[in-house]
Amino acid sequence: MNIPRIIISLCLACILVLSCATKAIAFCGFYVGGADAKLFNKASQVVIARNGDRTILTMANDFQGAVKDFAMVVPVPVAIKREQVHVGKRSTIEKLDAFSQPRLVEYFDPDPCAPTIREEMKSSAGMPAPASAPKPSVRADRNLGVTVEDRFKVKEYDIVILSAKQSDGLEKWLRQNGYNIPKGASELLSPYIKQKLKFFVAKIDLKEFNKSGDKLLRPLQIAYRSPKFMLPIRLGMINSRGEQDLVVYILSSKGQAELTNYRTVKIPTGTEIPEYIKQEFGSFYKATFQKIYEREQKKVAFLEYAWNTGNCDPCSSEPPTQTELKEAGVFWLNDGNSSSKNIPPNFRRSMPQSNTFITRLHVRYTRNKFPEDLMFQETGNQENFQGRYVMNHPFKGNLSCEAGKKYQQALRPRLEKEASNLANLTGWSIRDIYTKIDFPNTPKKADGNPFWRNVWGDK
Amino acid sequence: MFSDPRDYQIVFLTTFLGLGIMTRDWSIKPELILTLILSCCLTQLVLTSLFKPAENPVFALKSALITSLGLSLLLRADRVSTMILAGTLAIASKFMFTSDKKHWFNPANFGIIIALVLTPDAWISPGQWGDDWWYLLLFVGMGSIVLKRVGRWDTSVAFFGSYALLEIARNIWLGWTWDVCLHKLMSGSLLLFTLFMITDPRSIPNDRSARIVWSIAIAGLAFILRNYFYINEAIFIALFTISPLTILLDRLWLAPRFNWYSSELKA
Repeated sequence: MNIPRIIISLCLACILVLSCATKAIAFCGFYVGGADAKLFNKASQVVIARNGDRTILTMANDFQGAVKDFAMVVPVPVAIKREQVHVGKRSTIEKLDAFSQPRLVEYFDPDPCAPTIREEMKSSAGMPAPASAPKPSVRADRNLGVTVEDRFKVKEYDIVILSAKQSDGLEKWLRQNGYNIPKGASELLSPYIKQKLKFFVAKIDLKEFNKSGDKLLRPLQIAYRSPKFMLPIRLGMINSRGEQDLVVYILSSKGQAELTNYRTVKIPTGTEIPEYIKQEFGSFYKATFQKIYEREQKKVAFLEYAWNTGNCDPCSSEPPTQTELKEAGVFWLNDGNSSSKNIPPNFRRSMPQSNTFITRLHVRYTRNKFPEDLMFQETGNQENFQGRYVMNHPFKGNLSCEAGKKYQQALRPRLEKEASNLANLTGWSIRDIYTKIDFPNTPKKADGNPFWRNVWGDK
Repeated sequence: MFSDPRDYQIVFLTTFLGLGIMTRDWSIKPELILTLILSCCLTQLVLTSLFKPAENPVFALKSALITSLGLSLLLRADRVSTMILAGTLAIASKFMFTSDKKHWFNPANFGIIIALVLTPDAWISPGQWGDDWWYLLLFVGMGSIVLKRVGRWDTSVAFFGSYALLEIARNIWLGWTWDVCLHKLMSGSLLLFTLFMITDPRSIPNDRSARIVWSIAIAGLAFILRNYFYINEAIFIALFTISPLTILLDRLWLAPRFNWYSSELKA
């Protein structure tokens, strides 16, 4: 059955709005590709480059359905003209994701029998295309209270800018034009119409898309001026049934960004965890995130990264270049302050500063815990923050010297502590963790392995 | 328990600050709190000895401490110098802008606005208290005791009541569900402002009718700034703007000026 799929992404621009809904896919916003954001396979990714009241919003579409079924509706505060729309590169968002993702850092224990050398290594660590739909007449549009403000094409996207007087008129227009709006859309569209927002509607021109040779949709970028700094998630929850992940990268010339109507909480960081996690860092972070999400009663946003884009320590990827930042919408980079050029990989960057600060916020929301759209603010907070987890590889060589014996004795409690840290962070069973840790063959201290642990595990 | 209602305020504000630091992921650092306390208290001591040598320095210091605690709860900054500026000018405003022994501005509010306007690194975090009912109850419970002690609960009721009515009306007009409105009104920062900032008897009108008019004006302005100009600091700017009208309203409604001790005698 060729049931048309829909994504309705509503992006508000008075501030900024973004979301989407589909019969087949119950999530808001956009599928996300790229390193760790892939872990959360229903995550949407949005980049907001903001300075004063000027915003460039980038929406990444990792739409998995048939391209012809793709459609997006984005409420914007002002009528958007052709020159305010741009098609970006997928690699831009992948770069920001890689640069800001939670990271694992590994250290190697030095040979206790030799002079100390500490080595640090970073771990790598819908609806049918409207082309075929009959074009409704201008008069019919007016009867519905819907005005087509503009209609243009940008690369593979066909774009229509609408203004509406009544939400039911807009809903009818969308239906008549082949958009299979879910029930309840009208009710949710109404507040945005009353706030005099316009609607940015995009669909794919298949011919152009096929010409481009891309298999995935490229991000759509919109530039606008508005004092509003928000993301309307309510629209995306029209037919959502579960939790939806949204990763927002905010690029600012001031400092950290935060939510003003929900708490912004830092993810746990700096914890020492067992070395085997290197092989399963993805599932480790997913479990850690789930645990803290539940601990915070599912109603806060999480800060995963906040850093000057000129440097990193440790780096999970090279800092974004000026070109990459510009591609991400950073429009204030004309003074050449950014100095992250040609620095060898793994070099500890502490000095270079850029005039752009990145904040990565991860919001997992549901209808009942996030009743209000997300409202943001930039702050002057220049404090760096990163989700960083540390693993220490025990020394495996000859430990026959006195210091080596002491080292070996101290190793077991350390590994146990790491196991307990891991259990606390993820909620995983300590017994399972123990089976995966390579404990040294040393006599256990009486209090190091109490008899009840065999039955009850670590409390 | 305490003879001076300001002692209650100091205890409650300190409790909130402690709770916030312990249970909330705050960006405020101990050194910034210390900076605020020191800059407020030192400014108070110096200016009192210069301009009001007859005043009991202990009483003056209590006021300064309340101001610094209020600033610690609400103001955030990246630099120590910003906090020094906010604390110093907050206290100085009591000496600079004064008529009939009343202050034109609430000192903590003045400090916040000064820091926001004059420095690039100051901000307020309206979302960081969250919306837990537990906090709501705690705020209301403790705040009401303080308000009863100082006899100015009517400003809180008039402000919050009118602000809530405006938000509810807008919510109905837009067709949002009730939980949106409830979520907006359950902001910890809004309650903190309602219970501790617009109740300062030295910067609000003396007569009850005047106080109610004054509070409603602040609510109206804050509502407009928040919803139509998208200003996050709307309540603080509204208080800053309307506050000097206190002097005018006091002349229109001639009523006895507040005195910390007369309220105590009444109690």
